[in-house]
Amino acid sequence: MENLDFARLQMAFTLGFHIIFACIGMVMPFFMIVSHKKWLNTRDPIYLKLTKAWQKGVAIFFVTGAVSGTALSFELGLLWPGFMEHAGPIIGMPFSLEGAAFFVEALALGFYLYGWDKLPEKFHWFTGVIIGISGVASGILVVSANSWMNAPSGFDYNNGVFSNIDPVKAMLNPAWFTEALHMTLAAFVATSFAVAGVHALQIFRKKQIELHTKAFKIAILFGAVAAILQPISGDLSAKDVAERQPVKLAALEAHYETEKGAPLYIGGIVDEEKKEVSYKIEIPKALSFLAFGDFDAEVKGLNDFPEDELPPVAVVHYAFQIMVGIGTLLMLAGLLYFISLKKKSLLENRKFWLFFIFLAPLGFVALEAGWVVTEVGRQPWIIHGIMKTKDAVTPMPGMKYSFYMYVLLYVVLGITVTWLMNRQIKALNSSKDS
Amino acid sequence: MLYVVLFFTLFSLFLYVLLGGADFGAGIVELFSSSENKKITRDTAYRVMGPVWEVNHIWLIILIVIMWIAFPVYFNVIVIYMHVPITLVLLGITMRGVAFIFRHYDAVVDKSQHLYNWMFRISSFITPVFIGMTFGALIGGKIIRTQDYENFGFYELFMAPWLNTFSLLVGLFYAALCAFLAATLLIGETEGNDRKMYSRKSAYATIVLVVIGFILLVYGYYNEMVFITDFIHNPVSIIAVSFSGILLIPLWKSIRNQSSVWSRWLAGLQVVLILFAAIYAHFPHIIIMAGEELSLLENIAPPSVITNLGIMLLIGGSVILPGLFNLMRSFNMIKIFNKNAN
Ligand code: HDD
Ligand code: HEM
Ligand code: HEM
Repeated sequence: MENLDFARLQMAFTLGFHIIFACIGMVMPFFMIVSHKKWLNTRDPIYLKLTKAWQKGVAIFFVTGAVSGTALSFELGLLWPGFMEHAGPIIGMPFSLEGAAFFVEALALGFYLYGWDKLPEKFHWFTGVIIGISGVASGILVVSANSWMNAPSGFDYNNGVFSNIDPVKAMLNPAWFTEALHMTLAAFVATSFAVAGVHALQIFRKKQIELHTKAFKIAILFGAVAAILQPISGDLSAKDVAERQPVKLAALEAHYETEKGAPLYIGGIVDEEKKEVSYKIEIPKALSFLAFGDFDAEVKGLNDFPEDELPPVAVVHYAFQIMVGIGTLLMLAGLLYFISLKKKSLLENRKFWLFFIFLAPLGFVALEAGWVVTEVGRQPWIIHGIMKTKDAVTPMPGMKYSFYMYVLLYVVLGITVTWLMNRQIKALNSSKDS
Repeated sequence: MLYVVLFFTLFSLFLYVLLGGADFGAGIVELFSSSENKKITRDTAYRVMGPVWEVNHIWLIILIVIMWIAFPVYFNVIVIYMHVPITLVLLGITMRGVAFIFRHYDAVVDKSQHLYNWMFRISSFITPVFIGMTFGALIGGKIIRTQDYENFGFYELFMAPWLNTFSLLVGLFYAALCAFLAATLLIGETEGNDRKMYSRKSAYATIVLVVIGFILLVYGYYNEMVFITDFIHNPVSIIAVSFSGILLIPLWKSIRNQSSVWSRWLAGLQVVLILFAAIYAHFPHIIIMAGEELSLLENIAPPSVITNLGIMLLIGGSVILPGLFNLMRSFNMIKIFNKNAN
């Protein structure tokens, strides 16, 4: 492999790592403040215990998110100096606002963590709300920088020169809304199902059932609502992609031929040499409808694009299938939860809990798969239609060592954090109720 | 608006050096303490800096973001040629950050604390050294800016500029500065014997700092380094450094009297003076390469970008600074304004 490949791997790996911690750091505060509010309203000590346990989780994830994020803000330049030299000023606005949002978040976290018994109760709770809001704001802002790479706007481009830069237009690029909406929902889906799964496991093992049921209910409520909205937002994203990045759409559907009334493929094995997909299930005319809202619309196939502008089709197609598959499953799980509110007997059923334990990691799998769709599907462009990834990479050789170092570092970190969370739960289970 | 941007660039640089520095320094002081004092330092530093320790490091992020938006060419040179030391800095920041949070937030307190503690102390020392080495390399005059990467060796382009005596001296200088800041800050946070201990430590750190600073000047002078000779011939810089030297006298007095308020102000002022002197000596040519100097004020982003950034910084600053101030006040971190604290 070349330097470029290792740089891409490192980017994917570090972003893939950061996103997990960032999402948890972004969504957990919401659970925490709901539980905190319930403690203030009911004075039920279980809620206090839960709030404090979640608060530790927030702190640990926040810091891991923050250090990996600090690394990323350098990394964009370290790996892609050619990109940052031109794109930095253009997409600077969301990043500078994001900086402000991080700052507010870190300040609020300082107040919250150290404010127990020192600040007025309501104000203390409110600082928790600010953590949540500014976390979501920063998530939306970074994603708008990313959506600019998919839908570059806010500048003129002639012979390699960027001019007439309009940072506001670049930030509010045509893709920002759909992408930010989908990503925010995804963060809630992934984190909520993961947290709910962890508590479901404790309920399944009959440990501190009352506490874990309360925790489960808070987490899954967010997750179920988001999971039901997610496919709708995904459909909006797909329509967006169809319009702006037809080659990406063709890749994620693995469509080689241009057709009117194109069928939707489910599953299938992609052969990139022979340019065909075998063992697929076809739903007639569905793709044309999903992409353009018209059963007879024309969908451009991969064969109609220049050979050197095609992304790796198989990876993108499989990743898309995984995401949509999991998305459908989680939506059903969300509905199941709402049914269980009416039919209480479900909660007595051990299979119910087993199902949610099984779902725990899937949201994050879908989330990573979604990013693969977006990022790999954009290849070979780093800025769609403007700059190729290979022209942006650092001239420094030896990227493979840097890649190995990050893998080692983050694997160790990932294991340590998991182990720490395990200890938190054990401590929670063994402590006596006061 | 360019001035607003420049102001925030320098402002976040100064704050990172001061606050981030004090934060690193707490770990360095802990590293160079007897085992009993290690524990005292650990607890005091957590109590004092806990609520803001995360905030301290965001100044670095703000600085980087401003750099890449407003000074893209500058940023480009830094990230290409300083790739290796920056990666080491990031490694250090990561280790330090997680070690800090692990040791204070692990639900179970057991032998793993030992590991977290050492990870924290060692990375607290190494990280500022690498930060200093990166700065040293930028002014060291050894960077070769070229498009012809094939004709140079990896070592020559990517290692030699920062892996040398001068950079190392700058690195050690910054680490000593951090220790000095932390020890001086901690004086005001403790009582009795502990307070005496930090007064002593602060004095030691001052001595180390002055000695390294002197070696740095002498070394640079005899090796005819552009930065040092220009520094020595720049009257404003020399006045600033001398003034910071003169301030040592009241500083030592206030340390001897264990006066937290004065020693903090003086220490902060000294660091700002030193930094100012260093930047002023060469402003706006802050990157000095082999045979070429890169001006901060040339190659800036187009005016629409600068205006936008300036507005964002003003808005952001007006939200953040009062918040930060209140956070520090609520947790009694700013005793400077507090009449009762000496
Ligand atoms: C929990 C995670 C999750 C789930 C269940 C889904 N997605 Fe998704 N999807 C993401 C997580 C995600 C993501 C990781 O968040 C992405 C990557 C970039 C983005 O903004 O969202 C994404 C991107 C993404 C894109 C590409 C957008 C682009 O390239 O600009 C499309 C077309 C879809 N999604 C469509 C769907 C559909 C039709 C789903 C139906 C159920 C679905 N997603 C469920
Ligand atoms: C879709 C992608 C991303 C999302 C949703 C996201 C979201 C977040 C969130 C919510 C945080 C707050 C930390 C926490 O609560 O745990 C965070 C931290 C951070 N992220 Fe990301 N991020 C993404 C990608 C990036 C990228 C590409 C960069 C680099 C340019 C970046 C830079 C940072 C930095 C510097 C921090 C630390 C800020 C602090 O100290 O609070 N992030 N991210
Ligand atoms: C946090 C979630 C994200 C994940 C998991 C992710 C994943 C990936 C992957 C898999 C690649 C490699 C694509 C390839 O080379 O085939 C990549 C590349 C890249 N991503 Fe993302 N991405 C995320 C968000 C972002 C954001 C928010 C930004 C920028 C603001 C960004 C900027 C880049 C850049 C600059 C590259 C390298 C150039 C390229 O391959 O096009 N990514 N990312």
